[in-house]
Amino acid sequence: MIRSLSVLCVVALLAVLLALALGSVTVSPIDLIAVIQGEGNALHRTLLWELRLPRTLAAFATGGLLAVAGALMQVLLRNPLADPYVLGLSGGAAVGALLAMLTGMGTLLISGSAFAGAMLATVLVFGLAHGTGSWTPSRLLLTGVVVAAGWGAVITLMLAITPSYKLPGMLYWLMGDVSYARTPWPPLIVLALSIVLVLPLARNLNVLARGPMQAAALGVSVRPLEWTIYILASLLTATAVTTAGSIGFVGLIVPHMLRLVLGNDQRIILPACALAGGTLLVLADTLARTVIAPEQLPVGVITALLGVPTFLYLLHRSR
Amino acid sequence: MNYWPVKALLCALLTLPAMAWAEVCAEDRRGVQVCLPEPAKRIATLSPGATELMFAAGAGEKVVAVVNHSDYPPAAQKIPLVGNHTRIDLEALLALEPDLVITWVTGNPPAQMEMLQELGLTTFAIEPRTFEQVSGVIERLSVLAGTEKEGYAEAQRFRAGIAAIAEKYRNVEPIPVFYQVWETPLMTISDDHLIGKVLQLCGGLNVFGDMPRLVPRISAEVVLAADPHVILTGSVEGTSDDELDHWKSYSGMTAVARGNLFFIPASPISRPTPRLLEASEAVCQKLDIAREN
Amino acid sequence: MSTLRTRGLVINVPGRPDGYALDMDIESGQTWGVLGPNGAGKTTLLHTLAGLLPARSGQVLLNESPLADLKRREIARHIGLVFQERQDSFPATVMETALIGRHPWLSPWESEQGDDQARAQQALTSLDVDHLSDRLLNTLSGGERQRVAIATLMTQNPNVWLLDEPTNHLDLHHQVKVIHLLRDQARVGKTIFMCLHDLNLAARWCSHVLLLYTNGDACWGPADAMLESSALEKLYNQKLITVEADGAPVFVPVSA
Repeated sequence: MIRSLSVLCVVALLAVLLALALGSVTVSPIDLIAVIQGEGNALHRTLLWELRLPRTLAAFATGGLLAVAGALMQVLLRNPLADPYVLGLSGGAAVGALLAMLTGMGTLLISGSAFAGAMLATVLVFGLAHGTGSWTPSRLLLTGVVVAAGWGAVITLMLAITPSYKLPGMLYWLMGDVSYARTPWPPLIVLALSIVLVLPLARNLNVLARGPMQAAALGVSVRPLEWTIYILASLLTATAVTTAGSIGFVGLIVPHMLRLVLGNDQRIILPACALAGGTLLVLADTLARTVIAPEQLPVGVITALLGVPTFLYLLHRSR
Repeated sequence: MNYWPVKALLCALLTLPAMAWAEVCAEDRRGVQVCLPEPAKRIATLSPGATELMFAAGAGEKVVAVVNHSDYPPAAQKIPLVGNHTRIDLEALLALEPDLVITWVTGNPPAQMEMLQELGLTTFAIEPRTFEQVSGVIERLSVLAGTEKEGYAEAQRFRAGIAAIAEKYRNVEPIPVFYQVWETPLMTISDDHLIGKVLQLCGGLNVFGDMPRLVPRISAEVVLAADPHVILTGSVEGTSDDELDHWKSYSGMTAVARGNLFFIPASPISRPTPRLLEASEAVCQKLDIAREN
Repeated sequence: MSTLRTRGLVINVPGRPDGYALDMDIESGQTWGVLGPNGAGKTTLLHTLAGLLPARSGQVLLNESPLADLKRREIARHIGLVFQERQDSFPATVMETALIGRHPWLSPWESEQGDDQARAQQALTSLDVDHLSDRLLNTLSGGERQRVAIATLMTQNPNVWLLDEPTNHLDLHHQVKVIHLLRDQARVGKTIFMCLHDLNLAARWCSHVLLLYTNGDACWGPADAMLESSALEKLYNQKLITVEADGAPVFVPVSA
């Protein structure tokens, strides 16, 4: 267990260093070291400290948040097809963000609006699924999927009525974009805190994966655990979406990829998701901003292009 | 008596203030007074229109960074690219070390513009919406670039040209016109748009002139109901001109019946630059033909 | 040593009127067999005894404390349950599955110690599945999975063992082996309470029997008193003839 996590740590660190070195302007390792030591020329210093480091850290945090949220959703709903957005959370955030853009608000208010939209979506789905008091994963999933479709309709409407010049900005938000994250500290702190919070619950989650009755029979307080996981997963997803828009794919694929290699023990999977998800998004973002520079691609495209072949390879190997 | 040392001293003294106050200032679209310690030497233009305007201001040689589609004048095509106006490659921009960045209020992404300011770059925002604003922008850009002589001359040439057209078409019979910006979705412009102003200049009556939106999306039905006498659209170099074919099936439309479906070059009319003069001449010419038909 | 008592217990079978109130004393060392046709409520009873389902009325007492007053973890340390049907969305290995039995004994920050591993290993060996310990659960046969489930209960090592049809899917050899294992556990003081679909297993191995009828009627008591052919015929709605083998009655269904 320690070994696999150490390997992931090293890989994550290498990915971050790569991201700091690469860009439209290549910074050689010597220059990189010079800048870290406090010297180096002004351009390199600006590039590193004000552009690349916040962006890379934000990408790492976002990737980690999405992967952990995905793993939690999959356990909560006992469904391998679940991802962080399945319950309509990203739709609510998108509606919040687009509304803010439509009314011409500044970037801080856009983020705040996105977060509010995400939390509203969470409460809405939870309240609707609760209904007559019996709250099962399938009921939650069904409610979530329908509400997500509803948000999708609202988003389409907003795109249709917005003045043409606002469209590119909205589309980039929807495709996911790490470049606008100004400070990486909120998502990083949320990620670190959530791992600390969830680790003691991880064995409970292993038991919960056997089924709620089984889990109860083995001493797990199922309902409180499910609520906790739901709220935590929603908070993680809301933070991720607020930081970088709705980046797809990471939350669905990273937990699966790790399960193929590391098994099903949540005590390993959850911290591994944080590391691997972060690494994937850092690599994807580096590619997105360099592969056809100076053109800038949306990072969500790259996560899919990177993730699909990797996953298929692992699946093939696991036979 | 040889007074040349005195004359030399006087000359030197007179030029001193000019050198000390080499600071240049101009007010941008946001109402911000943008000042530089001396005329800009390395200018970045973050829209194709800004690139053209900078060349018009006589400072083309000082432009070091442009965005996609900065294709006019031809010399601009050799300047390094820093992305698209909707998504700038900030690293590439910073690497080119501009001392002045010309931004487009509604075209550039607000978040990236905020970032540019935080990184300490001097930005000058433009958004010309009238002919007078176009010439005004050329003048102000030339002040910031230290090329007032060429810039003011170009601005004056533009003003005179527009005034001449305005005079020529002052008493002409107005003709109802529909300008098609895009086929699907069907888009047009209102009188607040520069294209709308070009139409007005030539005595055209934009049937959608008083729509509240700058670039409204409309349906074929309302166009049929408005029954313009002439339909205009922009022709893009290298593409086939079939964007007006879909109107031909409505033989009852006045414009169709009289054969008044015309193309004009798209690039000059779509940008807020001195080429609006050529665009106006082209539009006026087509409207004249339409009046004959 | 633990005792499970029911006082006026009426289980909640949805749509069925109240059944007979159960007042049983399930003591340590006893091996109870619950017999009845499908739909009589055997599984519901088991789940109610484990505190997983609420009763319609009455209570279940674990060592004189009502179950409703106890925390889930506390209950899990005393009562273990082998379910009839199991869920497998995220399959684990056999060893991991067995180790889960230690969950009620570990605090959130603890992970399994060598002692826990040893218990699990021993349990897997007793059930003849130790050679499969690294295999994924969903690659095993039904019988192997059943044995792993019982091994998990053994790893959990509660005082009260509730089992829902533990011999399902098992071949004859393993059926006997499991029953012997349960009997041995009872001998060292465990309380065994299981639902059985096979009448003859109960007849041969159980010390006490509970008969649950589809309409809610019930009667219970020592095995030899309960295993009376007219009562059984009424229970199963099937004519039976009784023979004796190896000191125990054997009931054979015959056509009327």
